[in-house]
Amino acid sequence: MTLIVLLLGLAVGVLVGLLGIGGGVVLVPALVYLLHMDQHLAQGTSLFILLPPVGLGALREYWNQGQVDLRAGILCALGMLLGGYLGGLIAVPLASRHLKGLFGCFLILAAFLLWRKPQAEHRIPVSTGGESARG
Amino acid sequence: MRDAGIFGAACICGVASGLFGIGGGTLLVPFLALFFAFGQHRAQGTSLIALIPPTGALAFFAYAKAGYISWQTGLLLIPGVFVGGILGGWIAKRLQPQRMREVFAGLMFALGVWQAVAAWAR
Repeated sequence: MTLIVLLLGLAVGVLVGLLGIGGGVVLVPALVYLLHMDQHLAQGTSLFILLPPVGLGALREYWNQGQVDLRAGILCALGMLLGGYLGGLIAVPLASRHLKGLFGCFLILAAFLLWRKPQAEHRIPVSTGGESARG
Repeated sequence: MRDAGIFGAACICGVASGLFGIGGGTLLVPFLALFFAFGQHRAQGTSLIALIPPTGALAFFAYAKAGYISWQTGLLLIPGVFVGGILGGWIAKRLQPQRMREVFAGLMFALGVWQAVAAWAR
């Protein structure tokens, strides 16, 4: 059991670094299906994991290339903090079944966004440590 | 005006973050790129710096108060995700990320359909 969890974390991390998309998006369904967690428990645990700054290593690469808009970043952090509170308030009293269904719909939407993301991807010829952006 | 727009978009990402227990970057990166003319790298870098502070903290407390946290599993997962992230970055340099994204988008789509159907088709 412990080993499975450790390996799951490793696998999720690899996907995060590899694909530049969110740990939570992968983690929640993995917790639901592999560890048979309830939807609420999986989402709460995912939020717990995302509290420490796991993306710090990847950020350094972007920062060194000047690919960070600090002002926009701070605004986004504030907005997400507030929005997150609202989202939490909505999610907690929802029936687990409906939350699970909504999450499924969100995954479908995220899949489309992921597919169309690089419209004009200019490769920057510097050895970036992966195109990581958690979500 | 642009600042207000970015703040508003981030609020929407935040609602998704709290509602679905995720970071929010999955929405934030395409939002910045599509609506605010950020380049792909700049969008991802900005998303990363927005995620350095614990933006999910308020949502986290809402879940914690309701008892929806598995502390043990969470603590076991954190080191794996961290090490895996470094490993993934290393692999990404040697693979075509575009192809990987397409494969993964397909996987996510299938998972999403499965989960929605499993939840509601009864």
